[in-house]
Amino acid sequence: MTKHATPLLDQLESGPWPSFVSDIKQEAASRAENPKGLDYQIPVDCPDDLLGVLELSYTEKETHWKHGGIVGVFGYGGGVIGRYCDQPEKFPGVAHFHTVRVAQPSGKYYNTKFLRDLCDIWDLRGSGITNMHGSTGDIVLLGTQTPQLEEVFYELTHNMNVDLGGSGSNLRTPEACLGQSRCEYACYNTQDMCYQLTMDYQDELHRPAFPYKFKFKFDGCPNGCVSAMARSDFAVVGTWKDDIKIDQEKVKAYAGGAIKPNAGAHSGRDWGRFDLQKEVVDRCPSHCMKWDGAKLSIKTADCVRCMHCINTMPQALRIGDERGASILVGAKAPVVDGAQMGSLLVPFVRCEHPYDEVKEVIEKIWDWWMEEGKNRERVGETMKRLSFQKLLEVTDTPASACHVKEPRSNPYIFFKEEEVPGGWSRDLAAYRNRHQR
Amino acid sequence: MADDKDVVVEFLNSKAGTKSKFYFNDFTALFPDKGPRDVKKVLTKLVNEEILEFWSSGSTTMYGLKGAGKQSHAEGES
Amino acid sequence: MAFISSGYNPAKPMENRITDIGPHKYDAYFPSVIKKNFGKWLYHEILEPGVLVHVAEGGDKVYTVRVGGTRTMSITHIREMCDIADKHCNGYLRFTTRNNVEFMVTDEAAMKALRDDLNSRKFSGGSYKFPVGGTGAGISNMVHTQGWVHCHTPATDASGPVKCVMDAIFDDFKSMRMPAPVRIALACCINMCGAVHCSDIGLVGIHRKPPMIDHQWADQLCEIPLAVAACPTAAVRPSKVEFNGEKVSSIAIKQDRCMYCGNCYTMCPALPISDSEGDGIAIMIGGKVSNRISMPKFSKVVVGYIPNEPPRWPTLIKTVKHIVEVYAANAEKYERIGDWVERIGWESFFKLTGLTFTHHLIDDFRDPAYYTWRQSTQFKF
Repeated sequence: MTKHATPLLDQLESGPWPSFVSDIKQEAASRAENPKGLDYQIPVDCPDDLLGVLELSYTEKETHWKHGGIVGVFGYGGGVIGRYCDQPEKFPGVAHFHTVRVAQPSGKYYNTKFLRDLCDIWDLRGSGITNMHGSTGDIVLLGTQTPQLEEVFYELTHNMNVDLGGSGSNLRTPEACLGQSRCEYACYNTQDMCYQLTMDYQDELHRPAFPYKFKFKFDGCPNGCVSAMARSDFAVVGTWKDDIKIDQEKVKAYAGGAIKPNAGAHSGRDWGRFDLQKEVVDRCPSHCMKWDGAKLSIKTADCVRCMHCINTMPQALRIGDERGASILVGAKAPVVDGAQMGSLLVPFVRCEHPYDEVKEVIEKIWDWWMEEGKNRERVGETMKRLSFQKLLEVTDTPASACHVKEPRSNPYIFFKEEEVPGGWSRDLAAYRNRHQR
Repeated sequence: MADDKDVVVEFLNSKAGTKSKFYFNDFTALFPDKGPRDVKKVLTKLVNEEILEFWSSGSTTMYGLKGAGKQSHAEGES
Repeated sequence: MAFISSGYNPAKPMENRITDIGPHKYDAYFPSVIKKNFGKWLYHEILEPGVLVHVAEGGDKVYTVRVGGTRTMSITHIREMCDIADKHCNGYLRFTTRNNVEFMVTDEAAMKALRDDLNSRKFSGGSYKFPVGGTGAGISNMVHTQGWVHCHTPATDASGPVKCVMDAIFDDFKSMRMPAPVRIALACCINMCGAVHCSDIGLVGIHRKPPMIDHQWADQLCEIPLAVAACPTAAVRPSKVEFNGEKVSSIAIKQDRCMYCGNCYTMCPALPISDSEGDGIAIMIGGKVSNRISMPKFSKVVVGYIPNEPPRWPTLIKTVKHIVEVYAANAEKYERIGDWVERIGWESFFKLTGLTFTHHLIDDFRDPAYYTWRQSTQFKF
């Protein structure tokens, strides 16, 4: 028997998709039963009260949470989000219900010991409810009280050797796709770059000194499975410079129907016989391919590496060997000046441990943004305010045509004084010798 | 370093009547000759000495004197 | 309850303190086939919805069974996943960026046993615990935010509407009949702590009323300068107002400048923004992140407002399902929703879907708005 009647939430238990309501109920039941005989450090019925306050929101169509300014553990400026319920008498179990962000391994592979250890900490010291994972990539432990924060942190660091993630105006927990661990498209070791940079920038992650949040994300190829280009201030997206490797026999096998195209991704509908010309060559955005019925050729100089042909015929086509990444800067969600996609800054960078070339770019951007960025301004907005040229200048990146979709359509060019012969100090007397007033 | 810390604390005390929490940029303005990374070192030291503390909106973070301000950290928590 | 100390000494916070240790190294938890073939994968194939095989240069294979997860999950549920991983996968598993969970094995028979085990488990309420699917040209799991479960500025719930959408498109989570992958995401307010602005279908909670001002409490609960500084559009200013015959320090809001972000409420609990009549959901479509064929693009608003209808959000669900079906029936193979709409034109999109085009859908927010108006005589009647 549950503590609160939840007739509205109960309607979210039916239907095939996993029901979070059923799941929270099973946690409530487990805590009530307490099979491990724990001395729960926060109210035993907090999952019941979580359902109770949610049912109230379902009835009233308004949230019942308030923000709290609590930030983390001693010395850290992030990693914990403070939450208070605005009906604490009705729902004392969730009156104080803060979240703890825990750093996830890049690529999110786990063994069951790690997860069980984490569950044990959260069983004793928290609500038993988590997010696997939060939007940025952290493990989120959802709901505990202030006195438990240091205890949870102590056990995480001392017993599990794992740290908190980021929140606030700092480097947020970086995230990578699974990369070379299980993907043939990965152009660099995304997980390693993510790990190394996370370790190198621990201070930036835990002690906020930026104008606003800053995110790194690492995608192994232009397919973009972790949405680096759309969601991170600093996106590293794998790419290559040389020829796509072609196995002509396998191409013929695809053309002849011997291998399922698209790795089987379209097999839920009869799309007819695979048509290599129509589905691959004609769909190529830069028209760099030819198929004569026996041989597929690609003009590498015209290829924009969109991945379509490789995705469609993964057994026949492979990414090139001269691999690295492109760096795109300034993506963000819409608030406040509208959404931004990352803009290409570095067309190609080598991605070799310890990633000094990449770090050099990051640190130049940080130095500039920390100096020039306004409070609560993402670096993408600083770029818009101060110009892309300024970003090129501070990162010592030479301008090139690949930086733009098209050149400017106005002639209002801000020349620098040193770019104009003779500078801006002019001889008025000499001018007057040539011209009357 | 000791002098730098005093500059920060004096600044915060001078504002105590109106505001208790400040963005990082407000402190860099106090040290025109220092880069942001050096200013951060001063603030980190003050946090570790329990003189300053962080306050966060979740998306942004501010610094203030420990315990100052109307929005207390723990609402009635023991 | 007796307080159980971890060993932490509050009197001396720096004593034995461990900091800045970061996450565990990514390769600490690789299954052996992953460790052995790192960087040596040759190709992959989706054997059936939710089941992939990756083949390495040396011929090793890894079978992956992908299941949908709810972002909000209990430790009881995680422990059950651990039991499954211990039973089938030598104790390893991984999570994806879309809240899916992947279990890996190295032979086909083991894959089938694993898959059937996962598909067989149900919650007491009847829903699947671990539905297998979410691959290829189907509809994968939704990414979403906290909503009424834990956020202070949401305009809608997150887990609830997500459950309802996923129930409605469940067959497409478990099949691959779409012209291209369809990615749906939900953010419970415009701040988008989980960004949805590049999704095939993005659902965004929106407020439609500026915050109320609790003059009685503003000066006691809040530092007014902080609330002022929090406003991204400079709509909030300090103000002296008459309250119960007394002049009190409070706040004034220029209502026509407010973009309903709730940032001032974050700083000041005397400025509540939630409102049962004002709040609801907007639908955005046609965004993508992948560079495949066409460049990444933003999602565009096609429905300006749908009221919150808990617990099952019927209008929202009907609309999303309808958009998916019109897309599935009309797009060409490989066209994402955004590619399809760009080919047929937005006039045709509204005609085909029957969605009503209203003035709310015309951009009027700052400079970029102009570039979305039509500077041409080319259009469709």
